[in-house]
Amino acid sequence: MSANPSDIAVAPPAKVERRFSERREKLLSFLQNGPGMFGLILVVLFFASAIFAPWIAPYDPNALDIPARMQGPSWAHLAGTDQLGRDTFSRVLFGGRVALKIAAIGVSASLALGIALGIIAGYGPRWLDSLLLLLFDTVRAFPVIVLALAVVAVTGPSLELVLIIIIVTSVPGYARLVRTSTLALKNTEFITAERSLGASSSRIMAKHIMPNVVGPLLILGAMDVPVVVTVEAGLSFLGLGVLPPQASWGTILNEGYLAIRETPWLVIAGGIPLVLTTLGFTFLGEALRDVFDPRLRKGR
Amino acid sequence: METQLAIRDLSVDFRTPAGRVHALRHVDLDVPKGKILGIVGESGSGKSTVIWTVLRLLAGNAVVTGGEVDFGGKDVLGFDEAALRAYRGEEVSVIFQDPMTSQIPVLTYGQQMLDILYRRRNLSVAEKRKLAIAMMRRVGIADPEMRIRSYPHQFSGGMRQRISIAMALMMDPFLLIADEPTTALDVTMEAQIMHLMRSLQAELQATLVVVSHNLGLIAQLCDEVVVMYAGEVVERGDVRQIFYNAQHPYTRALIECDPARVLERSRLLPTIAGDLPDLRNLPAGCVFAPRCPKVFDMCLTVKPPLYDAGEGHDARCHLLHPEKGDPSWPPPIGEINLYEPEPPSREAAEFASTPVPLKSGTAASGDGPMLKVDNLRVRFRSMGALRARLAGVADPFVDAVRNISFELDRGETLGVVGESGSGKTTAARAILGLVKTHSGSVAYRGRELTGLSAAAFKPLRRDMAMMFQDPVGSLSPRQTVLSLMTEPFDIHRVPVEDRYREAERLCDMVRFPRSFLSRYPHELSGGQARRVGVARALALQPQLILADEPTAGLDVSVQGEILNLMGELQRTHGLSYMIITHNLPVVRHIADRLAIMYLGRIVEYGNCDRIFARPAHPYTEALVKGIPRPDPEKRRSLVSIEGEVPSLARRPSGCEFHPRCPYAQERCRVEEPLDRPLEDGRIIRCHFPLTD
Repeated sequence: MSANPSDIAVAPPAKVERRFSERREKLLSFLQNGPGMFGLILVVLFFASAIFAPWIAPYDPNALDIPARMQGPSWAHLAGTDQLGRDTFSRVLFGGRVALKIAAIGVSASLALGIALGIIAGYGPRWLDSLLLLLFDTVRAFPVIVLALAVVAVTGPSLELVLIIIIVTSVPGYARLVRTSTLALKNTEFITAERSLGASSSRIMAKHIMPNVVGPLLILGAMDVPVVVTVEAGLSFLGLGVLPPQASWGTILNEGYLAIRETPWLVIAGGIPLVLTTLGFTFLGEALRDVFDPRLRKGR
Repeated sequence: METQLAIRDLSVDFRTPAGRVHALRHVDLDVPKGKILGIVGESGSGKSTVIWTVLRLLAGNAVVTGGEVDFGGKDVLGFDEAALRAYRGEEVSVIFQDPMTSQIPVLTYGQQMLDILYRRRNLSVAEKRKLAIAMMRRVGIADPEMRIRSYPHQFSGGMRQRISIAMALMMDPFLLIADEPTTALDVTMEAQIMHLMRSLQAELQATLVVVSHNLGLIAQLCDEVVVMYAGEVVERGDVRQIFYNAQHPYTRALIECDPARVLERSRLLPTIAGDLPDLRNLPAGCVFAPRCPKVFDMCLTVKPPLYDAGEGHDARCHLLHPEKGDPSWPPPIGEINLYEPEPPSREAAEFASTPVPLKSGTAASGDGPMLKVDNLRVRFRSMGALRARLAGVADPFVDAVRNISFELDRGETLGVVGESGSGKTTAARAILGLVKTHSGSVAYRGRELTGLSAAAFKPLRRDMAMMFQDPVGSLSPRQTVLSLMTEPFDIHRVPVEDRYREAERLCDMVRFPRSFLSRYPHELSGGQARRVGVARALALQPQLILADEPTAGLDVSVQGEILNLMGELQRTHGLSYMIITHNLPVVRHIADRLAIMYLGRIVEYGNCDRIFARPAHPYTEALVKGIPRPDPEKRRSLVSIEGEVPSLARRPSGCEFHPRCPYAQERCRVEEPLDRPLEDGRIIRCHFPLTD
């Protein structure tokens, strides 16, 4: 049998094999998802218009031009002007920057905090789990707007405050979800295997639990972006967030609301981007969920 | 003979992004009425695809590219939805592998069984209930009037499988398909289910198709056998013909590789070299040619037809060609073995020639046992403290492991055997400090392990590694093989010059293809994932390996490979093993000592050969006899032991085995037996050991 052991012992050259990647399959299935592509286009437009606003915007968003106030759309002012003659189109673009900033920082910070706290609650000692859960539930018991009103009443309105309120109120949702997935993973064999090798708890949490819980959460995060944008717009509309003269979709809507009898264009110009952004992120999030959640793909 | 089901020239493809997988090609098989047909094959053989086609339950990406399925004169592939609903359940029903997942957890068995009868509109609910109760009684459920109100989680695995059988028989189908009906069960349960299926079949004259990779089950149960490989029928015939006069080299391979067949100890197990062919690009000739020890030129170019080997026995092998074949083929089974174990890898051979260095930091003295477990006890809380107080339970704990003691020397293998619930896995985890011990001691080279802090235990983990039961599930799913293999170095901060090189060294050691280092666990086969598990366990050159069901979930040929690999690594590295299994044939070839566990206690402990030759405890005897032999002539007529493992919360009085013991006497019911030595050094826990 061992006529020529050297034949067997010669190892094949180590090359990284080329295989048909699952990623490519997922990409294909995403490209075929109509609403998903539509959502992606809207989201890209949102990002591009917010980032490049200073270059795209035809006017300074805060430049007053009283003689040209409350105009309808024209070539000079694509979306008309407001009570002070400011160019609404430019203001909408700059308002997008505020929305993007709040959404990007708010969602990513709450995701990061939510994932960390959720894993700690799920994997850590029981008393810590109970404590964190109590905290999450306490925060979740407050309606966002009411909490914001209460805080603003004490401190006065500011953009940073909006951000903090958004983060504090969305962390518990993510953390609870992560905690549940962590609990399910905690007793799987591969975690026991890591423990038997001597891996520390922090290593297990960071390297073996986190990669397995973030996937669904990122999708949830994408779907939460419109919520955050609306909360910001809503708080600004109520005068609790961004302060005039800074442009925000909420403040544009607020000003438009006051002048709605004179010109409807302000409300329309402030509302359309809000609607499109919400639609875009929702479609994108749902498409991502369809692509990445194997349970939904089976049998198609 | 009348046929119930005839499959003619069936071909099925699966559309995948990587191309078309030709999963079944020209499959022909007949299921005679009133007989049991077995379909045998390893994973990837297409045996499940055949039954899913018969049931018309193929996945959405499957395409039937040709052939027909004839069921009692009806064309199954032409059925519309309404015809299918009438056909499934009513005419053909299935017993699934895992009764845990195939039953509805939120409905009682009564509701589930009445639902099955929904098409019988002329029956009243009371009549349906009566029918269900009668069927439960028929499959051996005691007290069915009460049990029909139970939920699946209140039943044990064996009981659940009995109910699956009852459910499948409710509509009195023409054909019953059993898909791996005993794979999820213990040996003693397997024997009981096998016995039940055989007696029901004889009683009802039912037609049965049993799909399994377990040759013992097939030999014990079936009248006719179809052997499948890589989507083709390679051999079919009467069960005796298949087991005594196998014509296809693959059938020979399956029979020779079965660990239950190889009786003598410390012989390497035979294996089949190579892997399944890629079913997207099939070889021009015979599909088995790349792995066949008898391959000749014709096999590589011409697809073999099913040659007639007489008496309704066909095999797809050119060795049977009237002119070009080999007239001396096949050699008698048992005298000439076609399949040999693989030679040791170069890495292992090199290692064998160098003495194993004793590592610093651990006690280097060779005196004393490597591992000494003394009166180890592990308890789990069964209810909260408050609830226990309210319910008046003084001791709200159950003993998973109850005062076990054993020793393991360097280079020695201890096999720990028992049914599920015997506490064997818990014992291993307690030794490694993964679950808390209640009392007793675990000493590794004289150093006490119980009560060590995680930090103090960590350096010792380099010396002790554990292999887990589920080959794929014990690998972190989002890590590549490369990072999984080198992770032990990171954890223990062992400086490595080149991680990649180190991983390649481990790959060669366990014969894992180097090119797969970038793969993720779910892209590996069971055998490959098991090799990664072995490599991880060996990465830091441990002294002691605790292996939990090292061959679970692996195909017969791969089982041999893994056991050989473990044996080889033991010889070259001087490893000590503690192997935990419910499958006695697995440890027979590798263990020096055995500990048989029942309800958290060791009931028999001693030399492996002596225990196999003459089991002294009735439980051991039941386990040894419970192994289904791959021999259709030696069918057991009786079940070795009745009943099931009792709940840990309700330990029987006296000897805990007495309710299931065929030799139990009055004394066993009242008096607890103590450990006592036999003349040959065994320790046994029984009042009346089977010594005569």
